[in-house]
Amino acid sequence: MKLRMVHCTTYVYTDAVTTSHHEARLTPRDGEHQRALTHELTITPEPKTRRRRFDYFGNRVVHFSLSESHRELEIVSQSEVEVSPGRVPELATTPPWEDVRDHLRNTRQRDALDAFAMCMDSPYVVRFAELAEYAAPSFTPRRPILQAVRELVSRVYTDFTYDPRATEVSTPLSDVLQHRRGVCQDFAHLVIGCLRTQGLAGRYVSGYLLTHPPPGKTRLVGADASHAWLSTFVPDHGWVDFDPTNDLIPAGEHVTVAYGRDFSDVTPIRGVILGGGKHQLRVAVDVVQTE
Amino acid sequence: MPKPMSADSHATPASTLAQSYEAPANVYDELKAADGSLRSHWQALLSRLDSLGAAGLDRRLEKARHLLHENGVSYNVYGDPQGMERPWSLSPVPVLHSADEWQRVEIGLAQRARLLDALLQDVYGPQRVLLEGLLPPELIFGNPHFLRACHGMSVPRERWLPLYCADLVRLPDGSFAVLEDRTQAPSGAGYALENRIVISSALPEAFRECGIERLSLFFRALRDTLQWLAPHNRDNPRIVLLTSGPYNATYFEQAYLAQYLSYTLVNGGDLTVRNDHVYLKTLSGLQPVDVILRRINDDYSDPLELRPESVLGTPGLVQAARQGNVAIANPLGTGLLQTPALLPFIAGLCKALLGEELLLPSVRSYWCGERWALREGIASFSDVVVRRSFPQGFVQPVLTAQLTSDARAELLRAIEARPEQYVIQERVHASTTPTFTEHTLSPRALVMRCFAVAGRDDYVVMPGALSRTADAGEGTEASMQLGAGSKDTWVLSRGSVTNFSLLPPVDRPVPLSRGGSALPSRATDNLYWLGRYAERAEGVARLARVVCGRLNDLVNQNDLEHSPEFVALLRALSTQTSLNYTGGLVVSDSVDLASAQAQLIAAVTDETGPGTLRSCVSSALRAGRLVRDRISTDTWRVLAALDDELRIDDAALEREPMGTLLDVLNRVVLRLAAFSGLAIDSMTRGHAWRFLDMGRRLERAMTLLMLLRSTLTQRCERGTPLLEAVLEVADSSMTYRRRYLARLQLPPVVDLLLTDETNPRSVIYQLDALTRHLEALPPAPDGLRSPQERIALGVLTELKLCDIEWLCTPRPAGDRPRLSQYLLELGARIPALSDSLSDRYLNHATVSRHLGEGDRAPSSLVAASRGDEP
Repeated sequence: MKLRMVHCTTYVYTDAVTTSHHEARLTPRDGEHQRALTHELTITPEPKTRRRRFDYFGNRVVHFSLSESHRELEIVSQSEVEVSPGRVPELATTPPWEDVRDHLRNTRQRDALDAFAMCMDSPYVVRFAELAEYAAPSFTPRRPILQAVRELVSRVYTDFTYDPRATEVSTPLSDVLQHRRGVCQDFAHLVIGCLRTQGLAGRYVSGYLLTHPPPGKTRLVGADASHAWLSTFVPDHGWVDFDPTNDLIPAGEHVTVAYGRDFSDVTPIRGVILGGGKHQLRVAVDVVQTE
Repeated sequence: MPKPMSADSHATPASTLAQSYEAPANVYDELKAADGSLRSHWQALLSRLDSLGAAGLDRRLEKARHLLHENGVSYNVYGDPQGMERPWSLSPVPVLHSADEWQRVEIGLAQRARLLDALLQDVYGPQRVLLEGLLPPELIFGNPHFLRACHGMSVPRERWLPLYCADLVRLPDGSFAVLEDRTQAPSGAGYALENRIVISSALPEAFRECGIERLSLFFRALRDTLQWLAPHNRDNPRIVLLTSGPYNATYFEQAYLAQYLSYTLVNGGDLTVRNDHVYLKTLSGLQPVDVILRRINDDYSDPLELRPESVLGTPGLVQAARQGNVAIANPLGTGLLQTPALLPFIAGLCKALLGEELLLPSVRSYWCGERWALREGIASFSDVVVRRSFPQGFVQPVLTAQLTSDARAELLRAIEARPEQYVIQERVHASTTPTFTEHTLSPRALVMRCFAVAGRDDYVVMPGALSRTADAGEGTEASMQLGAGSKDTWVLSRGSVTNFSLLPPVDRPVPLSRGGSALPSRATDNLYWLGRYAERAEGVARLARVVCGRLNDLVNQNDLEHSPEFVALLRALSTQTSLNYTGGLVVSDSVDLASAQAQLIAAVTDETGPGTLRSCVSSALRAGRLVRDRISTDTWRVLAALDDELRIDDAALEREPMGTLLDVLNRVVLRLAAFSGLAIDSMTRGHAWRFLDMGRRLERAMTLLMLLRSTLTQRCERGTPLLEAVLEVADSSMTYRRRYLARLQLPPVVDLLLTDETNPRSVIYQLDALTRHLEALPPAPDGLRSPQERIALGVLTELKLCDIEWLCTPRPAGDRPRLSQYLLELGARIPALSDSLSDRYLNHATVSRHLGEGDRAPSSLVAASRGDEP
């Protein structure tokens, strides 16, 4: 299946911005379940300096800066990706979660080491006692790891209410857990935090999701948004994705753009500006199936 | 040069000072061996100290204190509301090390530095130490100072650790051990240098006789290294010292080092990144920067890629470093190794990475993230030191022996809950060294901060250290934050001492230059405000002095009622000190003596009012501190002395208020005159001087307009004494008398103070000077007259054309509305000139803002990027 994404971000400033520096993580990754076919990033005004690099996690980053005065900045990312349903192991056949925990702690190979790094606190996901308590019922002795995680994800889906007004990006995880409300970002952080309290790896994934309009309605162009979910590591298999917002294991309709320890590693657009006064931001995302 | 004393410990001559010194048992003492004999390398110093005697030493101690105070050596203490600058405390008796024992320190430090350099290279590269199990991954991946943005970067000359410093203690067996490694932005070398300068002039004879290694060798090596690291312009790179600002604990040192090494002192906002290159914003445009000596924490240095909330940093700096366009010493990311959790692994890493046995061991430490280490560490929990593995900012180590048993149990629970966050260290018994207190030598526990800089081949270790002392028995956690004392550290030379100073070598021709180093816009801003506050202080001081003199003459209320001119002067003073210029004038017709006195005292000493003498001087001092590297030591001394003058003894003020105040004001006026004299005489006529002088001129014009308006536009019964007073405040009595003899009248006074181009105290003189300064500044790109030039010329022309007689004609009621209106309008245009000047030249100081995460604005990027459910 081929998906086409258009992600358009516009900043409008009340005063002129004299210089600005930005980092964009908007280019879909190449991976097992997806192949990036085309990608184009159009920036207006055209920046003098524009560089591409891979970050620590292998995400594609475009770094650009503007040193001419401007009042509006538009960043349009267009990409086409071929996705296929992932190969997900039979949940019941996966190793007991304690074995995975010990494997991560004791193995000194690159993949296990990188997964072990995802067992530690990160800027937005700092472990605390109540989080461990919430996670514990799913991690009964010797339970196959993916069964445990699948149940944890379902519990979060059932126990928490989707509410875009309940939280903002800086809302701490403890508030989310207490009020049981949030958005996909909060739910991803929450599950990651739960996994880490058990000594398991939790990786934050940002990307897009193909949406289906309600029956009888037509798709609204630009009404979509970027999405977030998570993965956990299983030895001999690799990373397996889970989407707690929709209570499912992604299978061919999720497009991975970037991953990291939490949201702070994968922020789609970061920027520092000089001047500008107040700013207004408009974002429109559109995902369509082309084949 | 005399040779150091031979190492013959039998021939110990009696020393009176040393005799009464009692070294504590069970620790190593630097001065005396276990059998009570004097260690031989101390003999030369002690015989010199003996010949000075206790009284002589007291005098030298006083001299050292005086020098430190005058040089303004200070250390900022966080969270200290009582003025955050704390004076530097220095003992007159240095710590001595023989050449042999120092060599052990040198070799050990250099090895440790090489090891940490190799470790950084690996951690920010292939991470072999993790794959081979040499280091627990938590120490890297769980370490908030591991900057993923810096992974995979290559650094200039592959030097990951250009600067290194370590805190050393000497154990009871006489060997040295490392308490803490510092790899981020090592501080203290400048204090060591200042200590040396002060002690070598307090004890010049001893310094000569002992044959001491010079510190300047180390600083030359530092300068060579920084130049060698430059990716471009290697012959003459621009090197800047990036400060963390005046609120940082070691700001004094940063400014001092910048001056000593002749680097421009900048903060993050002075730099900008264009096209992946770093530039310094100066009055004459952007100047490329090749090397940054960094004193700001790495995670704060770039709000784009590192900590987004940082306002100290320079956006784009990481990218510039990544592209290899700037050398940063130490490179970004090096703060990672500044964790006590690393200490237990150093010996193993040394074998694995360097193939060598570790020469300088760490103090025994346990990282609790390993189960066996946790067990060992808590085995003797009643007397250990507990530290955080990854402290954010300054976190005080905990001595468990000082805790109640409840607190100890609570700490133990915290450790067991998150063991990887804690390090348990053995409590070491540091060596003691003599300090001179209460006319005698007594032992103090010693910690030495030692410094190394990467050379082309190996590390160069400073022959000396910043030694800090704490009361013996208080443990070794001596830190200036905790108010410890400091000492100069003398390393005896093996042979003759290399005399070297940081002045340029003679064999290399120095190109003639009239420029001086680039002036950052921010420094310009502070010089401008230094000029303004100093002048404002002078205006207040002069006016207060005249008011004080008059008040002294008034014996009773009756006198006061017959002195309407006094009320006018008091009004002027209250207007000026509350900066209430554009607002309405405060008119209070009935004043009693007591309240007049209280008002005067408040105008001078009040710390909270914005325009009082005390706050003008504090503001001048604050601005001066930010440009410590731009003003001479003498100028700084004058400023610091001003502040001292205003710390008036309450008792004296109570006893004899007016007499005391008058003395103080006289001295303050004199010191301010010295300040302007130094500025005129000792500063080159560059932009720095120009902005300082513009600040003064502008302020003087404003002050004068304010004075004239608040005194001469109202009806006054006794005009003559008032005119006399105004002339005195404006320092123009002599000129007037010479010109008009004794006939005091209002129009000639106004003419002399407002429009006389030959009087350096007149308003027109200030405007004339300002106009000339403005013409000399870098022109606008279009070559047209700048807005500030237009304002200044406008005011100047108006003053030239002004008809004084017409302006000064009173109404029948006796007031002068024409004059009042004229002064008011003129007075409003000067602040406009100041604003326009700031906009044009000084406002680079705008702080950049972060867009994106952490942004709480409802309509921000965040709202959309958090991914609403499809």
